[in-house]
Amino acid sequence: MTSLVLQARDVAIHYGGVKAVDGVDLTLEQGQIRGLIGPNGAGKSTVIDAITGRRKLTRGSIALQGEDVTTLGVERRRRRGLSRSFQRTSIFGQMPVRKQVVLASQQMAMAGAAQDADEILSELDLLALADTLAADLGYGQQRRLDLALALVGRPVVLLLDEPMAGLSVQESRDLANHLQALTERRGVSVLLVEHDMDVVFGISDAVTVFELGRVIASGTPAEVRSDARVRKAYLGSAA
Amino acid sequence: MTTSLSRIALSALIALLAGGAFVAFVGSATVVSLLTQAIIYAVFALGVGLLLRQNGLVSFGHAAFFGSAGYSVAVLLETQAVPAEAAIVLTLLGVTAVSFLLGLVFVRVPGIAFGMLTLAVGQMLFLTASRSRGLTGGADGMNINWPNTLFGVSTSALTEPHAMFALCWAALVLTMVALALLLRGRFGAITEAVRDNEERARFIGIRTLLPRAAVFALSGGVTALAGVLAALNTGFVSPENLHWSVSGVALMMVVVGGQGALWGPPLGAVVYFVLKDVLGGYADHWMAIFGAALIATIVFSPRGLVGALQRLVRRRAATPAVLPATPRGAVHH
Repeated sequence: MTSLVLQARDVAIHYGGVKAVDGVDLTLEQGQIRGLIGPNGAGKSTVIDAITGRRKLTRGSIALQGEDVTTLGVERRRRRGLSRSFQRTSIFGQMPVRKQVVLASQQMAMAGAAQDADEILSELDLLALADTLAADLGYGQQRRLDLALALVGRPVVLLLDEPMAGLSVQESRDLANHLQALTERRGVSVLLVEHDMDVVFGISDAVTVFELGRVIASGTPAEVRSDARVRKAYLGSAA
Repeated sequence: MTTSLSRIALSALIALLAGGAFVAFVGSATVVSLLTQAIIYAVFALGVGLLLRQNGLVSFGHAAFFGSAGYSVAVLLETQAVPAEAAIVLTLLGVTAVSFLLGLVFVRVPGIAFGMLTLAVGQMLFLTASRSRGLTGGADGMNINWPNTLFGVSTSALTEPHAMFALCWAALVLTMVALALLLRGRFGAITEAVRDNEERARFIGIRTLLPRAAVFALSGGVTALAGVLAALNTGFVSPENLHWSVSGVALMMVVVGGQGALWGPPLGAVVYFVLKDVLGGYADHWMAIFGAALIATIVFSPRGLVGALQRLVRRRAATPAVLPATPRGAVHH
């Protein structure tokens, strides 16, 4: 039997008359990777912002492991296990790699913060760069550091906003492998917004398709791929 | 960790001894007084630099803390509300507490708006002090009635130029040690993280407002210490101590010295006073020459003298040592 770790019910974010997201229902099971796809402006990132508390909901609710977190701030949701990465790399540029991961680990009240940090850095092949200033890392390494910061504190749910953006084919493949391995090893559930369809359909257990702030399809990768509406709206007839 | 602690303790000890030895060799009371003023401003610049270094915020109104510390001591002594020692402690704690409360509001405001807010508050205090003749003596300022003894030491002995320099130097060194110890720990890491990327900081579970307000409070407290030292040194406080131009001078010291290290702003203050004295002997408008030097610093070394020195040290470290020439006929195995 699977357990739901994340439940977003009837989520809506309106800016005046503009309905960026309207009536979205999303669930995430323990250890599941759910891909979120859709054209630009479909509301994918806005949904991630809503779930993590970065944007206030116009309507709806968010539950994490059965607990309603709708009214909690970003920091408290993070401490309860709701973590994320950003579309643009979000790290502490003027701080050495290890120092920032240790700090994040301390903030998450992890026992043995230094050991926890080293474990994550090792899993993401960053341990050799522990004393390097984050700003001096290559772009792919910075993306991995971003992921490391999101993984600190053993989050229950990880929301990744286009983690492959700007990476080479090889770097994307490496990061996808890391992601899959981490999900299995750490039992974390992942909501993945990504435009690289090979990655999304390659590693996701379920896929949800957005269009104009609404969900138009949801199911296994095979079901979504064969959905006529999705093919027409997003994937194209060749998919 | 222990090595780093011993290094800080050793540096502080050497600095204290060097300051004492240096002033013992300088006979001229005028020169010592000039240096004392430089050190008081070094403490002031340390406060302004701390805010820039840990919060990334530029204040145009820190003279508010400098001047109000002087006024606070002056008014408490004038009204004989508390003994002088308590007046000093209450002033330092009071200004720090008020800074914290102001910080809770001010640090929410980003960039230039923050600078304007500090400027507005500073000028508001300047005008208030200028016009409250009954309490502050208005534009004429007020003398500070220090008692005959302070912390068990004769005030006249304490304010003698050499002793005053030693006191100010010790205050600077000990404040820097306290800040160095504080900033090398988790508080330092948190404030650096918030300064670098506030949003990411929130997403690693940091509540970003309190650390920023705490830095603002510390910065205000350090600046208040400079204000108290200035009040003791001159025995006088006037609205000029609150004027925005005083905040501007402190900011210039920070820019010249650089904020990459704690000792940058104090170094900038010393350079400012030395240049002021040297250039002042040659030109009436020495500030124009200093302005040119400031522009040159910003263009050629945006990280100030600290940045230039650090670059120099790195370059030296990177230069390969010259290997001794291999003796002719020698064979390597």
